Parts: sequence; structure tokens; C-alpha cells
Amino acid sequence: MRSLPSLRGPRPPPLPLLLLCLLAPVRRSSEDGRTPAAPFTSLPVREEMMAKYSNLSLKSHNISLTDEEKRGTKRSSELTMVTGEHSNMPVEKNITLERPSNIELTCQFTTSGDLNSVNVTWRKGDELLENNYLINATGSILYTQYMFTIVNSEQMGSYSCFFEEKKEQRGTFNFKVPELHEKKKPLITYVGDSVVLMCKCQGCFPLNWTWYSSNGSVQVPVGVPMNNKYVINGKNANETRLKIMQLSEEDQGSYWCHAIFQLGESEEHIEIVVLSYWVPLKAFLAIAAEVVLLVAIILLCEMYTQKKKKHSDDGKEFEQIEQLKSDDSNGIENNAPRHRKNESVGQ
Amino acid sequence: MTPKPAGPPDGGWGWVVAAAAFAVNGLSYGLLRSLGLALPDLAEHFDRSAQDTAWVSALALAVQQAASPVGSALSTRWGARPVVMVGGVLTSLGFVFSAFARSLLHLYLGLGVLAGSGWALVFAPALGTLSRYFSRRRVLAVGLALTGNGASSLLLAPALQLLLDNFGWRGALLLLGAITLHLTPCGALLRPLALPGDPLGPPRSPLAALGLGLFTRRAFLVFAVGTALVGGGYFVPYVHLAPHALDRGLGGYGAVLVVAVAAVGDAGARLLCGWLADQGWVPLPRLLAMFGALTGLGLLAVGLVPVVGNEESWGGPLLAAAGAYGLSAGSYAPLVFGVLPGLVGIGGVVQATGLVMMLMSLGGLLGPPLSGFLRDETGDFTASFLVCGSFILSGSFIYVGLPSALPSCRPASHPGTAPPERGELLPDPQVALLPPGGPHSTLDTTC
Repeated sequence: MRSLPSLRGPRPPPLPLLLLCLLAPVRRSSEDGRTPAAPFTSLPVREEMMAKYSNLSLKSHNISLTDEEKRGTKRSSELTMVTGEHSNMPVEKNITLERPSNIELTCQFTTSGDLNSVNVTWRKGDELLENNYLINATGSILYTQYMFTIVNSEQMGSYSCFFEEKKEQRGTFNFKVPELHEKKKPLITYVGDSVVLMCKCQGCFPLNWTWYSSNGSVQVPVGVPMNNKYVINGKNANETRLKIMQLSEEDQGSYWCHAIFQLGESEEHIEIVVLSYWVPLKAFLAIAAEVVLLVAIILLCEMYTQKKKKHSDDGKEFEQIEQLKSDDSNGIENNAPRHRKNESVGQ
Repeated sequence: MTPKPAGPPDGGWGWVVAAAAFAVNGLSYGLLRSLGLALPDLAEHFDRSAQDTAWVSALALAVQQAASPVGSALSTRWGARPVVMVGGVLTSLGFVFSAFARSLLHLYLGLGVLAGSGWALVFAPALGTLSRYFSRRRVLAVGLALTGNGASSLLLAPALQLLLDNFGWRGALLLLGAITLHLTPCGALLRPLALPGDPLGPPRSPLAALGLGLFTRRAFLVFAVGTALVGGGYFVPYVHLAPHALDRGLGGYGAVLVVAVAAVGDAGARLLCGWLADQGWVPLPRLLAMFGALTGLGLLAVGLVPVVGNEESWGGPLLAAAGAYGLSAGSYAPLVFGVLPGLVGIGGVVQATGLVMMLMSLGGLLGPPLSGFLRDETGDFTASFLVCGSFILSGSFIYVGLPSALPSCRPASHPGTAPPERGELLPDPQVALLPPGGPHSTLDTTC
């Protein structure tokens, strides 16, 4: 979007700038340094393309590269190795694209060396791209811009800009369709139950959804003849639900939902496990048996201790009665001790 | 000749009863709290909103508390032991029934009504029986039993997650039914105890068994009003503390930390306050009013905490306020049950426990929805916490009206010599408790 104003601003007469770009970096006057992004003029080819796809939105993306190695040599020798490694790592940007759009990709390369000796190319995957890109140099920064349109899935993929000097610097733009949210846990269901599998796309609206089931590697479509076992519906455009009824153990396995976009497909995997009720029921019966055993043990222990206590109480009572008899025979003055003895037994 | 009943044993089998009550608390309240883990799976399966599934737990809690007097009434008629055992079977059946649910309605009936009723039959009788086994160390024993739900949340929450991952929600509910069946052995451990002060025969009518006559006592009436007010605010943090922490700007883990601090403070304080209260340095009603007031102030502080600057901070002021609230609320809990024998006598404890649960349930039904409504109206939880804090403060203010000197809790040494004080504290000889143990003295001032 930033380059649009410069397109409408003052431009030099339309030259075949493209040829110039392929041969050598073009030096511009300072007036073009006004906009911080790549200050490019328009191209006849580009204008034509813009008119054809003017109903599509324009998306701009930008990568900055620096020639770290050169800077590194100015530092101490230990640091040189570290920065040297970094400079070899490719700089990547992942871009999610749902609908056909006009694309504008910009790479800027900062170096302290000679800009004229840098060779600039654009590739899609490994294939060299021939047209539609511009090169501009301002101060010590080299800009290159590639504009094109993506209308079908073949145009998706990785686009890279290459700056070749002593070492090759590369910036990559990866175009992908929106990915679906990954669910992690398998769904556990039971025989005879029904289950609802849901796929949702965050912030994106696929054209269509399809469902597949797979045993092994082959994916078989599911729910296409809608019968009373499978029902597919979705509340909004960005989600879909597959309801499977009357589950049986054969329904166990992996299910895939595919979100179909104009520019490709993405899929999500859901797994279903179908158990029979007997599985938890076994554990339940085992625990219930343990509970019954506990209760029996507790009640039996109590009855046993009470019986023992009763026997000892009876024994004490018997002793007491014997004691009373012997006391009686000893005389009446033993009233007080008798009371005390009774009270101590009573407590 | 049957021996005259001694006072509370204050130990011995009482510790076994404490362990049983600990397990009962864990398998009822603790399980109910952990049940929230299964609710998202239920919402997904039945394609209903989170609010609809939240009603499952809310209904179970409401039935458990509101039906508590029924549990205590049944246990005055037949004894705590059979009632708790039946309650365990009922709860288990509720879970088994809900494992086969075909609609959310089945869950409301199975978990909400059946399991809730089963829980109503177990909590008050177990706790009431525990109070009867102790006198000098009662509040400590009750505090120990009440830590059951904290401990069980720690154990049951990961266990429930494991069950959900391996067996789905149906299998998990089925196995939870097996786990709650352990309430029955806990009930088997509640040996009946005969104490001086137990009324003579079984209650004449079901209404008398409910113990509504207890409300005619001034002390219990004051306590009841205060507790009903406190109930209006007490349960709000259980529901809204975590969302409040998130609202104040803490991240997910920050909110978890706040809840954990409150929970740990709560559990620890239950034990500490139990021990402290039993030392007898401060009369129990005064302690009750004090900790109630501190809980209310703690909630006011929680509500007034400023917004945290960034998500990464650990929310110091909110943590401190939540800790203060947890410590006070934890101290309040055993005191509520510990003060009952002094108010209604050891004979009325089981019924009083049931009534207290019912009173708190009135507040529990009112508090969280009101708090949610205030949140929706004002945009954050400040008003909610201020309102529930003030409910608790007003309840504590009413507690100040309780008599500070409760009857001594020492068992009388000469049961035969002291004159029976029938009619002074017990208005009605029909208000009865445990079945015949052969009590002779009607002195219920012994607690």
C-alpha cells in the first residue's frame, strides 16, 4: 500500500525501466527517498495488470536483509564467526492468503559495499522469474520489488528474492492457504452413542467443506449420500459439523475435514475412539465389590468388639454380684464401698 | 443394667469419625467443585452453552444444601449411620444414571436432583455426629474434617481429567459413581453415641424431626439470621474470584495463583483456627464474629484492588487480598459448626447442622447470580465483591448479638447429683435425636 502514493506522484516519462533493472542498479534522485519504502515508478505492464485485476485487493509484504558479514569483520575476531553464521540463514516470511489478490513483494538489502556489484534475481521455488520486477538503489540500500497476481492454487508457493554478491542472501515469502486449528485429543465415545465432529477456521471463510474417513492411508469421502447415519451441517460459513449417529466399533478411526478455498485446500485430522460400555463397567463393578467388602469388614469388626465388650461386661457384672453376696455376708457397714464400686463400674 | 452415658469421648473412636467426615466432605463438596472439569465436554456433546451446563453443578449444590434439613431429620429418626449409607448409594445411582444421559435434562435429574439429594443425606449427619464425639477438641476435629474438600480437589481434579481422557465423560461419570459409593463405608463408621442430654424417644412428627423448634431459641435465631446474610456473600468467591483476577489484568496463570493462594489459606486456616478455638482463650461466638468480619473486609479488599499494569506481573495486591480472604474464610468455616453445640445443646446439633446448611443455601442461590448481574451492569467485579463483602459484614455484625458466654463444655462429673434442668433450654421434649441409648439426665448444658 505504501508504494501506491508514489505511483500517483510525479513520475519521469515511462521508460523501459525493466531492462535497466536487469543490467545495473538504477540511482535515483533524492526526491524519491521521501517515502521510506521502495520508491518505484510504474511500469506499463504493471498498469495493465492492475487494470485487469483491479477488483482484487492489494497486499504488500516486505523483507529486510543486511549483509552482516561485512559488518562483522569490523568487530573483534570472536564475533565474526557468530555473525557469519547468521548471515547464511534464509529470512522467511509466511503469508496466509485466502482469496485471489494482487501481490507486491519488496526486498531491501543493506550493504556497505558496492551496490553495483550485487546481482538481483527473483525465483518461484527453483524457477527463475523473468519479468515484472524493479530494482532501485538509495544510499547504501538496494530495493527490489516484484508485483504479480495470485488467482489459483498453482500460483501459491514460495517466492524468493536473491542478492548475490560474494555470498548469496535470500529472502523468501511463503504463501499458504489458512490452516485449520489443530485439535489434540481423540474423542472418546461409546457404542450406540452419537458424536459431533467440528472443524472451524479462525477468521477465514472457505468456499466449501468436505469430510473423509480413513483407515490407513486411503481417504474415503463420508456423508456424501446423507442418510440417517451421517449429517453434515454448519452454523456459520467458517465451521462445519459432521454428526455420526448409532456409533459402532467399525466407525472408530481417523476423520478428516477439508476446507476448500479458491487458492487451495487445508485439512484437519480428528480421531474417534469407540468403546463398549463394558470397559468402564468392569472397573465400576470391581470398585463396587471393594466397597461392599469394606462395609462388611467395618460392620463385622464392630459386632465383634461389641460382643467382646458385652461378654466382659457380663463377666464384670457376674463378679459384682458375687462380690455383693460376699459383702452381704460380711455385714451392713459395706454400704458406702458398694456405692463407689457401682459408680466406677457404671462409667 | 445399662451404664449411664458418659460425655463426649473427645478422642478414641472420635478420630475415626473425623476421618470419615473428612472423606464425606471430600466426596461431596470436593467432588462437586471438581465436576466443573467435565462440563466443557458435556457442553460440546449436547451442543449447549457453558451457562446451561453450569446449571448441572449449581442445581446439585442447591439441592444438597436446601435438602440438608431432610437429611438431619431422617437421622434423628433412624440414626446417622443408615442415613449416610443410603445417601451414598443414592449419590452413586445419580452418577450412574447420568452416565447414560441422552440429553441435558437427564443430567439435571441424575446429577442435580439424585446426586444432590444423596449428598444432602450425608453431610449434615456426618458433621453432626462428629460434633457429638468431641467437646474440648471439637473445633479442631471439625476443622480437620472440613479440610476434606480442599484435599479432595487436589486429588480428584487430576484424577477426573485422567478419567475424561481415557473413558470420555460417560465412563468418567460411571467411575465417579463408583468413587462416591465410598460414602457408604464412611457412613458405616459413624457409630451411634449415647450422650447425656439426648432426648428420650424418637420425634413425634416429621416437622418436629426437622428441628424447626430450634428457631424459637433466641441464640439460634440470631445465629440463623447472621448466617443467612453471610451465606449471601460467602460463595461468590468460589465462582467469581478467578474471573475477577482475569478482569484485573492478570494472565491465566496469575489467576490460577490467586485462586490457589485463597484455597491454601482457606485449608490451612481451618486447622489452625480449629486448634486455636479449642484452647478456649476467646469465646467461640466472639471468634465467629471476628473472623466473619475479617472475611467481609478481605472481600472488600479483593474488590477494591486496582487494575494490574501488565499481564506478566504476579498481582501482589490481589494475591495479598485473596490470601487474607482465604485465611479468614477458612477460620470462619469450622467455627460455624463448632459454635452450634453451645447454642442448641449437643442433642440438637445434627438438626442444627442441617438447618445451617439450608440457611447458607438461601444465600448461595442469591449471591453468585446477583454478583454476575452486577458484573454485567457495571462492567467489572468491584461492585459484586463490595456487595458480597457487605453482606458478610452485616452478618458478622449480627453475630455480635450472640451470647458471649456459652454453657461450659465439660461433662458433668456427677450425673446423678445435679438436678435436671428440663424445660429451660429445650422448649419441647418432643424435639428428639438419636434413638434410645438410655439417657437419664436431661442436662443439655453439657456440650
